[in-house]
Amino acid sequence: MSANRWFATGNYFTTYREEQRIFSTHLDRLVFCLFLTAFFVWPFFIDLSTKYMLVLDNILIAVIAVYGLNLVLGFGGLISVGHAAFVGVGAYTVASLAGVIGEQHMLITHGWPLMIIGAGLMGAIFGLIVGLPALRLRHLYLLMATLSFQMIFEWTIGFLNFFNQGQFIYVGRVHWLTGEVGRNEHYLFWYYVLLVTVVICGFGVRNLLRTRYGRSLVAVRDNDRAADAMGMHPGLAKVFAFGLAGFFAGIAGAMQAYLDRGAGFETFTLHESIQYLAMTIVGGMGQLTGCFFGPAAIEILDLQMEHLAEWAGHILPSALDLATGLRPLSFGLVIVLFLMFEPRGIANWWRILRTYLKLWPFRY
Amino acid sequence: MTYFFQLVVSGIVVGSIYALAAIGFVLIYKSSRVLNIAHGQIIAAGAYITYALTVWCQIPIYISFVLSMIVTFFLAMSVERIFLRRLIGEPIISVIMVTIGLMSIIDGLIYLTPFGSENFSFPAFLPTEPVVFAGIYISYTQIVGVIITFLLIGIFSWFFKKSTVGISMRAVSDDQMASMSIGISVPRVFGLAWACAGLTAAAAGGIIGNITGLNFETLHAFGIIVFPVVILGGLDSLPGAVAAGIIMGLIQQFASGYLDGNFGLNGTANLLPYIILLVILLFKPHGLFGTHEIERV
Amino acid sequence: MKSLKFTTCIMVAAAVLMMALPVSAVAGNVYKLGLSLAITGPTSDAGNPYAKGVEDYFRYVNDMKLLGDDTIECTIRDDKYETSITKRNFEEYLDMGIVFYLNYSTGSTLALKRDFDEVKMPTMPASFHAGNIEGSDYIFLPIASYSAQAIGLAEYLVRKHEGKTPKVAMFIHPSAFGRGPVEDIEKSIKAGLDIEIVEVVEHGQDLDNTAMLQRWKSKNVQYVISQTVQSPVAGMLKDASRLGLVAGKFGEKDKITFLGAHYTGGNDLIALAGDAAENFYWTTSYIVTSEPGAGADAQLALAKRYGRDDKAANSHNYANGVMVAQVAAEAIRRAKARGNEINKETLYQEMLEMNGMNAFYPVTTVGPVTYSKDDHQGVDTLQLYAVQDGEFRAVGKPFIPEYTEKIKK
Repeated sequence: MSANRWFATGNYFTTYREEQRIFSTHLDRLVFCLFLTAFFVWPFFIDLSTKYMLVLDNILIAVIAVYGLNLVLGFGGLISVGHAAFVGVGAYTVASLAGVIGEQHMLITHGWPLMIIGAGLMGAIFGLIVGLPALRLRHLYLLMATLSFQMIFEWTIGFLNFFNQGQFIYVGRVHWLTGEVGRNEHYLFWYYVLLVTVVICGFGVRNLLRTRYGRSLVAVRDNDRAADAMGMHPGLAKVFAFGLAGFFAGIAGAMQAYLDRGAGFETFTLHESIQYLAMTIVGGMGQLTGCFFGPAAIEILDLQMEHLAEWAGHILPSALDLATGLRPLSFGLVIVLFLMFEPRGIANWWRILRTYLKLWPFRY
Repeated sequence: MTYFFQLVVSGIVVGSIYALAAIGFVLIYKSSRVLNIAHGQIIAAGAYITYALTVWCQIPIYISFVLSMIVTFFLAMSVERIFLRRLIGEPIISVIMVTIGLMSIIDGLIYLTPFGSENFSFPAFLPTEPVVFAGIYISYTQIVGVIITFLLIGIFSWFFKKSTVGISMRAVSDDQMASMSIGISVPRVFGLAWACAGLTAAAAGGIIGNITGLNFETLHAFGIIVFPVVILGGLDSLPGAVAAGIIMGLIQQFASGYLDGNFGLNGTANLLPYIILLVILLFKPHGLFGTHEIERV
Repeated sequence: MKSLKFTTCIMVAAAVLMMALPVSAVAGNVYKLGLSLAITGPTSDAGNPYAKGVEDYFRYVNDMKLLGDDTIECTIRDDKYETSITKRNFEEYLDMGIVFYLNYSTGSTLALKRDFDEVKMPTMPASFHAGNIEGSDYIFLPIASYSAQAIGLAEYLVRKHEGKTPKVAMFIHPSAFGRGPVEDIEKSIKAGLDIEIVEVVEHGQDLDNTAMLQRWKSKNVQYVISQTVQSPVAGMLKDASRLGLVAGKFGEKDKITFLGAHYTGGNDLIALAGDAAENFYWTTSYIVTSEPGAGADAQLALAKRYGRDDKAANSHNYANGVMVAQVAAEAIRRAKARGNEINKETLYQEMLEMNGMNAFYPVTTVGPVTYSKDDHQGVDTLQLYAVQDGEFRAVGKPFIPEYTEKIKK
């Protein structure tokens, strides 16, 4: 059975090379391709309302940001409560440049892929700087460092005229082969751009974890002294993780700026940072698949609670207060319950499901 | 010169309230190594309980202040029992994130009450005219606040130094395994630490509520400003928390007194604590009084 | 067997009929509106009564059949003061086919400005930030902007002040919302308004404002114009009254008179500051329930009708919500009276024509609502209130600030 790469029911790896494959079986690859095709093709058949299109886009942006946070949190074992600020760095890279050279400048409207990568690099630089204390400190103290970065970011954006003092800075509509992307295609266009970015970044993360840098990161998380003894530099590994997290956050931020057609500081507050943390936890720390499930789960929970609150508002007239407490309450409960009962997140359910299907109809 | 001394006095007053808020934070960290991100929410809850008892139940404020400390004591204890007891032995990182979840849960619960979106203020129970000393003004509320702070700090220092429970709490913070082996119930110590933290948070909430009025946004923001304070003082040091609280209060007052409005700067009092936080992290991460045993990576 | 099938058919038919009946009973059209605001999160103390005001007035319109058989269906969503959720709500409202949109915060109004223009959606925000209407055709501020309010306050103090040029400090929120009026005040000074701005202070979460107040006193500041939310103002007033700095009457020498724009005042301020709020001067275009009048009676009756508690009923933000709902309902009523189809274009036209003899006079404001092509600020009239014995009382007659026009050139 072991040689059969279609219906392997368990681990039959005989070499490290086999273990390092991106897809351990052909079936996995097939399923992945089917999913991918489905994601690319469905807009041709289903006409989704603008609201859900926007929700979908926001989920995908969060997926990219959570890639970064998961590298720090799940693979590096470091808490960051300033992730929204990194996303903000990316968004403000695009927005403030648009403010300087004009929002309709060719670079902004036509050179947007360049802008997105540039924003990612900017995010990476800030990530490296904020990660510097990691050379000396362990996770608790890094939480503080990221917190102060978040606060300093908010003050800087709110204070400096260069950033329009936190007021919205507009970014023009982008151009594509067919000309300017108008309001009607806006969300669909960005859906595809985001989808492609998510796939590319996803492969990037998956491959990173196969390289020595990725594995040294995991080693440092599991036991930094042992990693040190093995000749890795734990501090550098962590700084590196922060840099990468900043990169993904920067990309997510730039796309957020393009999607929202500008940046205002309300989108990058401490509250958002906590939201990203929740997404990572619920999705599954240290799991690549968790990066997809987490954002989707949190967004859907939020929408469902909105509906529930609205329904409760109809049932209990003039008790609006009762309905409004539901959203933060459920949000908090979901985080806590996951940590208490399923610390490996939704990704673990996915893993269980996969194992079950692979063995079906046998139990083991 | 009066201006300078006024700043000093205000700084000490504000700082001792920070210290009071920080103590609860340090208590939890000291025994269980957990950073309690939801501390601001507990402060707010304490303030609201005091208000509810005073105004809705018509209990004299001195009694309701103590009562609310007791209520919050048990509230925090049950929070620990329900949410955190299970996580003993889990990585610290997930315990910290549970407190992040707790933050949202308490938010939600407070939004279910009128306190979430309405403003209240305590009935004045102290003389409103200030004490004037050599041109320096200080209000009775502030004096009482400072007295309560130092009273509580005194009680806790005694508690940790002399009482059996306090000593067992210190033992747990030192080495959980060793203290278990000599018969200390570690979970009970954790529960007690949370309970004490709740108690001080309620006290802080009551005082802040008296000074600023009860606005949810304003109240739970104190959970965040506590971070720079405890880092400056050293995460596990009670005297450190007090000293750092006062230093932070002074820095903020001087910043808003001398920097704001000059050099085109504004709102620096909000920013400086975090810059100090970063600097401390880079150069002296164990703070002024913290234990030096930070594990270098 | 056959009878069973028959019964099933009957039952299904009955079910269908029952489902259809309530729908067919309402013969008129349903006009959809949307409101997105912060019921939780920052500024929810203002958003909560605002939402209640909007909800109650539209229910009133439907219950009293003010639009005949037609009804208004206004969806109210909480956006937690987050722009991304506001955007999501707005897109959903567009999908629902709303004809008029009510927005809330300064940040989200600025962020969605382009969207409002692109889809040509008449919009009324709860933020009176002057920057909202810059370069936008479709945003209508309910009342005079914060800038106009601050200028109004400044003009009033110039009129009342005795002696040399009055020295004024500004106490503002550290955001666009707070900074907006500063620039316009400075422009007014250039245009001849006789005040001197000594300091502009952006507040933080201060537990003690003694230093700031002492500094102002040493610089002979006599008036403070604040543009922020209630909580920091309350803190400042408490400290000032502790220091004995609050003027007993307007412009008292060697004391400080505190003044503030719409969101600094109202019953929330009194709730927060207690006795220290005494002699705080506040301007808005809304009526307050502590000042008897037709508007106050109407507001209280509406709140009572729908079972609101005293706090909501007496809130000026409840009046605020009722007023925007009134304007929206009025636009629909007028368009209907003309026999036009109700859609966003006709409502936009109605809004633009709400001037001159067509001006709308809701009882909840101190002046008429006027809009035109160039005027997107609804009620231009302001009323000054001052706290006396724990209640806001009107001071003088409603007025219109002069320098708002002068600085336009």
